[in-house]
Amino acid sequence: MTAPLLDGQTSTVVTALSALAIGIAFGWTLERAGLGNARKLVGQFHLTDLTVFKVMFSALVTALLGVFWLGRLGWLDVGRLYLPETFLVPQLTGGLIFGVGFALSGLCPGTSCVAAASGRLDGLAAVAGIMAGVWTIGWFIQPLSRFYESTSRGAVTLPDVTGIPSGVIVLAVVSLALAGFRVAEWIEARRT
Amino acid sequence: MDRSTPHLNARSTLAVVAASLALLAALAGEPRPTTVDVGALARQIATEADHVDATTVARWIKSRRSDLRIIDVREQSEYDEYHIPTAEHLPLERLTALARSSDTTVLYSGGGAHGAQAWVLLRALGHAKVAVLSGGIDEWTTEVLHPIVPPDAAGPQAAEAVDLAVYFGGTPRVQPRAIDETGSRSDRARAVPPRRRGC
Amino acid sequence: MSRRQPQPYADPYIAGVSLGLVLLAAFVIVGRGLGASGAFATAASNLTARIDPQAASNNPFFSPYLTSNLFADWLLVEVIGVFIGGAASAWLAGRARIAIDRGAGVSSWGRLGFSAAGGLLMGIGAILARGCTSGQALTGGAVLAVGAWLFIPAAFAAAYAVAPLIRWTWR
Repeated sequence: MTAPLLDGQTSTVVTALSALAIGIAFGWTLERAGLGNARKLVGQFHLTDLTVFKVMFSALVTALLGVFWLGRLGWLDVGRLYLPETFLVPQLTGGLIFGVGFALSGLCPGTSCVAAASGRLDGLAAVAGIMAGVWTIGWFIQPLSRFYESTSRGAVTLPDVTGIPSGVIVLAVVSLALAGFRVAEWIEARRT
Repeated sequence: MDRSTPHLNARSTLAVVAASLALLAALAGEPRPTTVDVGALARQIATEADHVDATTVARWIKSRRSDLRIIDVREQSEYDEYHIPTAEHLPLERLTALARSSDTTVLYSGGGAHGAQAWVLLRALGHAKVAVLSGGIDEWTTEVLHPIVPPDAAGPQAAEAVDLAVYFGGTPRVQPRAIDETGSRSDRARAVPPRRRGC
Repeated sequence: MSRRQPQPYADPYIAGVSLGLVLLAAFVIVGRGLGASGAFATAASNLTARIDPQAASNNPFFSPYLTSNLFADWLLVEVIGVFIGGAASAWLAGRARIAIDRGAGVSSWGRLGFSAAGGLLMGIGAILARGCTSGQALTGGAVLAVGAWLFIPAAFAAAYAVAPLIRWTWR
């Protein structure tokens, strides 16, 4: 049977259990890496501790290669994977606003949950802030709907829009990541 | 600072593995199997899992389903003359230009042959959630735009058929009451779309 | 409260690969990736519905998230898992304690203020971007979604631009 294994026909209980298991593994791994600690996270932006970059891009590269090869072997139906839609301007804008917030709190939504779960009150404050932010923008989505829905490109991937074969893009991303890791080690070494 | 050898060995091993897999990926090209699972596709066709009927498509469009895309694979002139509302045009020869999507894709052509062929091609390319309107525009016209309804238009099926027809700018055809008492005519008078067979 | 000696953190690359395997498992098991901000949207929408059901269902942003069975929302359950996993790891590693991670340059309340303000902006940004570091950068990035690869440099660039301005709070 090709992956994805569960689908719309699967029982709610099984699907929920899968979500719980995956979430637990996610939260556990983030905490193990120290990403439940805002002090460690902001080191990324002060160029003293580049754990965020290392963890994020190691994870990205692992999943990227995993999806490619499982697809290539016919074990994963890549076409059935959920592909987020692209909205050029809103996502660029949202990214910028998000980045400012990330620098201010030193935590992102996922890591703020881990921090809160570890007893950190700043994590709890971030969680509350995110909730408030989501709730606030929720009231503005309708008046801003032209902006919110603008520059949509559908669910497109880098291979789709560049015409470059997926495997070549995978090589480019992995190469950039590995080079980035070398640079990160060098930057951190300069600090000691 | 932790510079212990086990960590270094682990890191360099991971890096080498990643680099090798990436290099091979560039040579491989695309994350889809080199062989098309013909058996699986054949089974889907045989069980008509690839089909969708015109009434279902009409319901999906009317409910403004956001994860739906309808592709018309006919000639430009035929598309311009009439196409299923909300359908995009992509002639069969340019089918490979279709971007992968998590939407449900419904293909159709005039009578159904090209639509069905496009289904096989897209599925071979690795697209998922693709269905074909097996009777094409012909089925759309006879079942959605001009459904046959009994004169009293009783029952939910008839009411829905009329509703859809009007919604898409068509006109229902009223079937005269059956003279033949064996029931074969009154079967046709029920607004249940006849199942089309063969592509 | 755990009284163990705090353990050292895991190697970031090994943790990263583990995280990537978790993400891959999500793809293989349910055909979708990880996320966090979506769960906040579900929570905010349904909370609003508790207070003012009419307003929530009339709001085109909240209404798709409204559900009678919160456990049917995959992301919400996943985020509950994140809390559990994070708590378990922190506890077992001796890192669980009520505390505020801050620099000496700012007071506790100041740190909480910055954190909440940052959260507010992240909530807004994540909704506009249709995801956050988990949903867009990590998950979208791994499937090579164009929007994700716009989000990543934008978020990092903005963070690097702002971080020096508030570095004093972490001294």
